[in-house]
Parts: sequence; structure tokens; C-alpha cells
Amino acid sequence: MPTVRLRDASEYPDPARKLFELSKSWFNHDFKHPPAMSRVMAWDPEFGGPHGRAMKRAMAPGEWSRGEKEMVAAVVSGVNACAY
Amino acid sequence: MEGDHLWYEAAHVVGITNALNVAADGLAALPAVTALLPPVAETGVDQPTGELFAEIRAFYGRGDVPPVFRFLARDPAYAADVWAATRRAFGDNKLARRFKEALAFAVSLTSRSEWGTGFHLGEMKRLGVGDAGVMEVIGVTQMFSSYTKIADTLQLEPDMGDIAPVDDSPAPGGPPR
Repeated sequence: MPTVRLRDASEYPDPARKLFELSKSWFNHDFKHPPAMSRVMAWDPEFGGPHGRAMKRAMAPGEWSRGEKEMVAAVVSGVNACAY
Repeated sequence: MEGDHLWYEAAHVVGITNALNVAADGLAALPAVTALLPPVAETGVDQPTGELFAEIRAFYGRGDVPPVFRFLARDPAYAADVWAATRRAFGDNKLARRFKEALAFAVSLTSRSEWGTGFHLGEMKRLGVGDAGVMEVIGVTQMFSSYTKIADTLQLEPDMGDIAPVDDSPAPGGPPR
């Protein structure tokens, strides 16, 4: 159970809700609700904004494909024992 | 990156990388340990160990045997099996060897393995990964070392587990489903 109350998308201001729409295209998945992490990162745009840009830059195709990078992210999450 | 085969391969790389790192950092790199349990010498060894060392040198394209394998070779049969698993995990298969080295580098960096980080960085570069490619892996590793800790701190529950398609193929060599 999360230690915070995850706000519904409708509780966020418009700019954040636009970012939630973008997360659908980023993951190519029509989420019923924005992923919990998206809602957490939208809490403080001055943190979530640059953090998200760094993530998108890191995950963009380059010498490695997006898919390969997702696999790297998965193994890092595994080593960090993070179930999320 | 669809299909379970890729993920099984990746998991094997993660597992054996961690196993090697544990022995490399926790045993083979510690003078207090090697004083009591010295690694097997590079030369003047019996034939099976010599063949094992030759294969390891050839696989990594280097003139020496990484200390962790010389340490494990104190039990030649055990070392041979660990090496066979390592070679299988890192060989080209559905995932390319150079990408597997990138995974191993990310695992080593995340788990703060000094030996593994340096070794797999060296392997990545030897196999042709450029500086930009290395930085990409560092970026992903760092970002997901952030996301995972944010998720853990807030105890977020998984909500993206169903976005990947299920692979209904049978186990390798098994009957069709």
C-alpha cells in the first residue's frame, strides 16, 4: 500500500494532465489511470520535469535501441529489488 | 524486446554476473583472503585447468585470466562449470554478446561491484561500444536507480505489468501448446 494517497488524474492541473496523455504514447499503452510513477513525478513539476527529460534523453534510441534500454532498466530495477 | 527467450537470457546474464562479482570483489580482490586461499597460478597448472584458462583467455581476447576464475580454479571441476555457465550466458544468442556486456555493466554498476564495473566496461569497449553507448547505459542505470528508490520510498504497487504481451510459446524443445 502506498505511503501517500495517489491523486486521481482529475486532481492535477491541466499541464500535468497533458503530460499524462504523453505517457500513453511513451509507453504505447492506453492506461485507464496514469501510472503511479507519472502521478508521483507530476507532484512537483520542478523536480519531475527535469527528471523526466533526463529519463527521456537516457531512453531515446542511440547506440542502443529503446527496447534494449528498457531491458537495461528492467535489470537495474531487478538488482535494486524494486517490484514496481 | 518481445518474447520470453530474450528475458530468460537477460536473467541468466544478471545472475552469473552477480555470482562472478561476489567472488571477484569479496574474495579474489582481498589480500587477506588470497593470503589464506591463493588463486591458482596462470602457468604450470595441470592440463584441464590449463585448457580452461586458455579458453577463458580466448573468449575475452586477453593474455591473462581474470583473477576471479583463477580463484575459483582452486576447485577445477567447480570452476569449469561456472565458466561453462558464464560462456553460455554471455555468448551470442538471441541477445548479442555486446549487449549482454552492457547488461552486465549496468548490473555491476548498480550493485557497486568495482571489479564487475571495470571488467564489463572493458568488454563493452573491446566489443565496439562507443563512448556514447556507454554513457547511454550509465544514463539508464542512473535514472532507474532513481525511479526504483522513489517507488520503494512511497511503496508504489506495480501498475504496468500487463502492458507487455504474453509469450505463449512452449519451453525450448518442449511439445507445442
